[in-house]
Amino acid sequence: MSGIVFYPCAVICIISAILVVTRRNPIYSALFLILCFMSIAVIYLGLQAPFLAAMHVLVYTGAILVLFLFVIMLLNLRPPELGRELSPWIRVLIAILCVALFVMFCVPIIQGTKGYTIQPPPHGFGSVKGVGQTLFTYYLLPFELLSLVLLIAMIGGVILAKRRL
Amino acid sequence: MMECLLLSAALFAIGAYGVIARRNLLIILMSIELMLNGVNLSLVNFARVWGQNSAHVFVLMIMGVAAAEVAVGLAILIAVFRNRRSVDTFDLTQMRG
Repeated sequence: MSGIVFYPCAVICIISAILVVTRRNPIYSALFLILCFMSIAVIYLGLQAPFLAAMHVLVYTGAILVLFLFVIMLLNLRPPELGRELSPWIRVLIAILCVALFVMFCVPIIQGTKGYTIQPPPHGFGSVKGVGQTLFTYYLLPFELLSLVLLIAMIGGVILAKRRL
Repeated sequence: MMECLLLSAALFAIGAYGVIARRNLLIILMSIELMLNGVNLSLVNFARVWGQNSAHVFVLMIMGVAAAEVAVGLAILIAVFRNRRSVDTFDLTQMRG
């Protein structure tokens, strides 16, 4: 994958992800999350997964983020209802711990990927046809069970959010 | 390959920070999405390395489960806000023994 696409997208992704977790107003967080997800979709395109990139844009920015924005506007939070945050030095401590987590991930990644050369992918890799064939032959039962999960989540969401049944 | 895995690790760590350090339930749910996206990114990267479509199917499954999780989580958030008028996690102490 060409670095000229990857590195700008990675930088946008990291910066917008950091802005997501540091903004106080959830509206700004949701909008930066959209930016982060779009750059991830571009990275998926670079990794030769065009079907997944389309699904990512459809599901995450099309469904999940719209749901988030819809709920934020439904709640219509005023500043006192947003709650308070932890004190700054505790947050700095947690940030240091998370950087340590990242460094912990970095060591095996850098050691384990040494000397790997990536071959060109086989024919039909990542296309709608290839993914669909794998999905509907080897993974048919998990696919059907996923539809059951979504149905249960839908019923649960309606029951939880409804005022009176 | 390495850069992509590092990016996914960074996304996961940022999401973990959001889950631990924030007290706003909405932001915590968004941070969970960030962590799931970090994992998805590493799966897509491994699929590219080994030329297997199975990992793409796994990512599709994770997307479906994430959609279900967000739907239920936001419904719980609406129910909590209706009873408590707050989305602060520290206000949710009703079940404390």
